[in-house]
Amino acid sequence: MSVQIPPTERLRTDTIQINMGPHHPSTHGVFRMVLTLDGETVVDLEPRFGYLHRGIEKTAEERTYVQNVPFTDRLDYICGITNNWAYALALEKLAGIEVPERAEYIRVILGELTRVMNHMLAIGFLWNDLGATTFTPVVYAFRERERILDLIEMAAGSRMMPSYIRAGGVVADLPEEFMPRLQKLVPHLKRFIDEMDTMLTKNEIFRARAVGVGVLKAKDAINAGVSGPVLRASGVPYDIRKVDSYSIYDRFDFEVPVHTAGDVYARYLQRLAEARQSLRIIEQAMRDIPEGPVTSLPYKQLSRLKPPKGEAYGRIESPKGELGFYLVSDGSNKPYRFRIRSTSLLNLTLLREMCIGHKVADVVTILGSIDITLGDVDR
Amino acid sequence: MYGTGLLKGLSVTLRHMIGTFVTDVRKFPRRYFRDGVHPTRSPEPYLHGAFSIQYPEEKVPMWPRFRGPLVHLRDPETGQPRCTACGMCERACPHGCIKVEGEGKGKERKPTLYQYNVGRCIFCRQCVESCPFNAIELSRFYELACYDKDTIWDLPRLLELGDKEEIKEQGQFWGET
Amino acid sequence: MENVWTIENVWNAIGMALQNWLAGFLPAWLVTLIMDLLVIVVLLAIGIVAVLILSFLERKVAARAGDRYGPNRWGPYGVLQPFADAIKMLIKEDIVPHVADRFSFNLAPVIVTVGAVMTYAVLPFGRNMVAANLNIGILYFAAVGSLSIIGLLTAGWGSRNKYALISAFRSVAQLITYEVPLALCIICVVMLAGSLSTQDIVLAQQERGWFFLLMPGIFILYFLAASAEMIRCPFDLLEADSEIVAGHFIEYSGMKFALFFLAEYIHLFAGSAMMVTLFFGGWLGPWLPSWLWFLIKTFVVIFVFMWIRNTFPRIRIDQVLKIGWKVMVPAGLVGLAITGFVDKLIADTLIAGVVLFVCNIALIVGVSYFMGRAQRQKEMAAEGAALR
Ligand code: SF4
Ligand code: SF4
Repeated sequence: MSVQIPPTERLRTDTIQINMGPHHPSTHGVFRMVLTLDGETVVDLEPRFGYLHRGIEKTAEERTYVQNVPFTDRLDYICGITNNWAYALALEKLAGIEVPERAEYIRVILGELTRVMNHMLAIGFLWNDLGATTFTPVVYAFRERERILDLIEMAAGSRMMPSYIRAGGVVADLPEEFMPRLQKLVPHLKRFIDEMDTMLTKNEIFRARAVGVGVLKAKDAINAGVSGPVLRASGVPYDIRKVDSYSIYDRFDFEVPVHTAGDVYARYLQRLAEARQSLRIIEQAMRDIPEGPVTSLPYKQLSRLKPPKGEAYGRIESPKGELGFYLVSDGSNKPYRFRIRSTSLLNLTLLREMCIGHKVADVVTILGSIDITLGDVDR
Repeated sequence: MYGTGLLKGLSVTLRHMIGTFVTDVRKFPRRYFRDGVHPTRSPEPYLHGAFSIQYPEEKVPMWPRFRGPLVHLRDPETGQPRCTACGMCERACPHGCIKVEGEGKGKERKPTLYQYNVGRCIFCRQCVESCPFNAIELSRFYELACYDKDTIWDLPRLLELGDKEEIKEQGQFWGET
Repeated sequence: MENVWTIENVWNAIGMALQNWLAGFLPAWLVTLIMDLLVIVVLLAIGIVAVLILSFLERKVAARAGDRYGPNRWGPYGVLQPFADAIKMLIKEDIVPHVADRFSFNLAPVIVTVGAVMTYAVLPFGRNMVAANLNIGILYFAAVGSLSIIGLLTAGWGSRNKYALISAFRSVAQLITYEVPLALCIICVVMLAGSLSTQDIVLAQQERGWFFLLMPGIFILYFLAASAEMIRCPFDLLEADSEIVAGHFIEYSGMKFALFFLAEYIHLFAGSAMMVTLFFGGWLGPWLPSWLWFLIKTFVVIFVFMWIRNTFPRIRIDQVLKIGWKVMVPAGLVGLAITGFVDKLIADTLIAGVVLFVCNIALIVGVSYFMGRAQRQKEMAAEGAALR
C-alpha cells in the first residue's frame, strides 16, 4: 500500500526524507524511523532498531540458570515482574518444578499490579505523544506507578529490577505491611482509573486525533504475530491467561475485553478496560491467598540446578502481549539456548503498514499506542 | 454536547491544582515534611495533593529489604570480618564484580583481598544468598553519586559501611530464601 | 494640563512631572523626543518583566497541575528562577549551524521579537494609559501581531533543518487560516463599539456591558483564533516537541533562543491583554485603580491559557486547517451577520444585548451539534474497522 503523488504539470513537488530518532523525544528510547514525507503525509516509513542491543540471549548462555534472572528484568524494564515470571515458567517446565500455592497467588498479585502500572503508563505516554506538552497525564500515571513500585520494592527490594520471581516460587514471602497497603491501594487505583477515564476518554481533541488513525486489521495482526492489547483492540479475543491458562488464572473470574476498531483510540480503551479487569483479579487473589511456603526450591538448590536434557517454552500474557522464553538444556547448569520471544519487537513489525498515508504527527501517536519498550525490542 | 469532554478534563486538572495548595496549607508554616512522615509513604493513598519529595530536605527511608551496595558484617565477638574468602560470592555474581583472595586453611582462612566493584554491581543479592558464612548483606545506602571513579571498594570500606548502616545479620528481613 | 496625584493616575502623573521638569531647561522638541524614547523603554521593560513573571508562572502552573511544586530552589519559592534562566541563556554558546543561511538565521529572532514588542504600543493599560492612542489601534494590533510569523518562516528556512522547515510550512498555513476568523471577530466587536481605537472600545463596554457577556459565541471563536495566533496549546503545532522537536527554534541556542522565548511570552501577554480589552471591559472595574484591574484580568486570562495547555493534547495540522476553514470562518461570518443586523435593527442597547446573547448561544449550540454529529459519524464508521 502506498500513496500515489498525483503528477501535475505546472507544480512539481518532491518528497523529503526525515530521520526520526534515535534521539527524538517521542520514540520511547533509542529507535529510529526513516520517514519519507510528501508535505506532511507519510509516504514511506522504515523502522531501524538495534541501538539498545545488549546481547542478552548470548550472554545468558554463559551463565547459570539462576544468574540469568536479573537479566530478564532488563528486557522490558517497565514490567520486570512479568519478565521474571515468564522465565521462571519456562524453567519450571524444563526442570519439572512444582510451585507452592501461596507463591502462585503472590505472582498473580504482583503480575496484575504490573499490568495496571504498564497500561496506565502507556496511556500517559500516548498523551505525551499526542502533545500534552506539560506531561500532566504522564505525571498522574507516574504517581500511581510510584505507589505500585513502592509495593514491589517492599517485597523485592528494588523498584524496577525486582528479580523477585524465580523458578520454584518467589524469593521471599511478602512482608507483613504488604497486604494492608495493598488493600488500601486497590480501591484507590480504581478511583484513579475512573479519574483518567473522566479526564481523557471523552476529550474531543483526543478523539479527533485517535479515532480511525493507525488501523490494524485483525488478519494482518494475526499474520504478523502481534499480541496483547494491540491484538485485542483489533477484535481478536486472544489472551493467554484464558486460551492457554497458566499459573492459577483458571480460578479467577475475569473477562477479556475486546474492541473492534483497531485504531489508536481502541487501543487506549482496551488498556483502560484491561486495567480494570486486573484490579478485579487482584481483589479475588487478595481474598483467597492461603498461608504456606513460598518456594519449593531455595537458592542453594536452585543455583545447582541441572535440568535434564530437553527443551521448554514458557509463555505468559505480559502487559504488552505474549512474552515467551524458549530454553534448551544440554544437561549442564547453563542453558544451551536462551531465546526470548519479545512482545514489543513483534508488535512493532506492522508499524509501516499502520503509518503510511497518515500525517507526521500520527506516526508518533501510533508508535505510542503500540506501547513498546526499546529494551524489549533490541534485547 | 461537543466540548463537554474538554471541560471535564479541565475540571480534573483544576482539582489537582487546588489539591496541591491544600497540601501546602496542611504543612504550613513549614515547607517540607519532617523526616519519615512524608505522605508518599503513608498507607493512605490520596488522589489530590502534591506528591513530590523535595529530596535533600526530605528523605524517605528505604524499605528494610531495599537492595543497595554490598557491606561486610563483623563477628559479634571478635569484631573481625566473618568472611573466610571461600569465593562463593565471586562465583555466584552474574556480573563478576567481586574478587576475593585469601590465605590460611579451614576456619582460620581470612581474606587478603576483597574487591567489590560497585560501579558494575546490579544489586541482585545473589552473592549474599550464596554466602555460606553469613558474611555479607546489601545495605540500604543509596546516595552513590560521586565525583571520581572510585568505584572499587575494599574490605575495610565495606566493613565501615556495614557499621554505619547498622546491619548485624544476613537476611534479617527476608526470611528463608 | 493640571497634574493630579492619585493612585489611579500615578503613572501619568510621574510622566507629567518628568516632562515639566525637563521642559524647564530643554527645548520643546528635545523634550518630546526624550519622552517618546522613555515610553519605548518603559514598554520594553514591561515586556521583559512580563516574560520573567510568565515563564515562572508557566512552570508553576504546569507543576501544580501535575501534583508537583515546580522550581523552588533559587530564592523563596523559587521566584528568582527566571533570572537564573536568563543568565544561563545569556552565557550559553551561540551556535550557528554550518549549512545555515546566516543572514536569515540571524535576522529571524529580531523580526520575531520586534513584531511582538510593537503590539504593546496600543494596549490600553489603564484610563488614559496607552502609548499611542491610534484611531486604528485594533487594525494595527492585528497587522503587527502577525509580523512575527514572518520571522518564524525566516527561522525555519534559515536554519536548514527539516524539522524547522516543516514548522515554517505549518506557520504559514496556520497564520493564513486563523487571521481570517480573528479579523471577523474583531470586526464584530468594532461594529458594536463603533470605533477602531482600543480606548473607545473599552469605553463602549462601559455603556453596553462587557462584550464577553453580549457575544459569548464570538468570544469563543476569538479565543480559539487567538490561541492559534499566539501559538498556544492546543494550536502549538509550530513548536510541537513530540513531533517536530520544537520546530523553528530547533537550531537556535543561547541569546537567540532566548529572543524566541521572549517573543512567545510577549505574544501571550499582548494577546491576553487584547482579549481583555475586547471582551472583558479592559481596565473597567470598581474600587481598584484601572491599571490594576487591567493587570488582574490579563493574568486571569493568561492563567486560563496555561491551564488549557496543561490539560489538552495538540490538534493535527490538517484538523487545524479544517477547523479553521470549515468551522471557524463560516461561524465567524454568521456571527458577523448576526451582530450587524442586531446592531442596525434594534436601537435599544438592552434589548439588542439580549437578542445578541440569544443568537450567540444558538450559534454555539449549532456549531457544537454539527461538529458532534460529524465526530459521531466518524466513530461509528471506525467501529469494527479492524475486522472488515
Ligand atoms: S563473602 Fe561469603 S561467600 Fe564471599 S568469600 Fe566471604 S565468606 Fe565466601
Ligand atoms: S549484588 Fe549481584 S551484581 Fe552485585 S556483587 Fe552481588 S551478585 Fe554481584
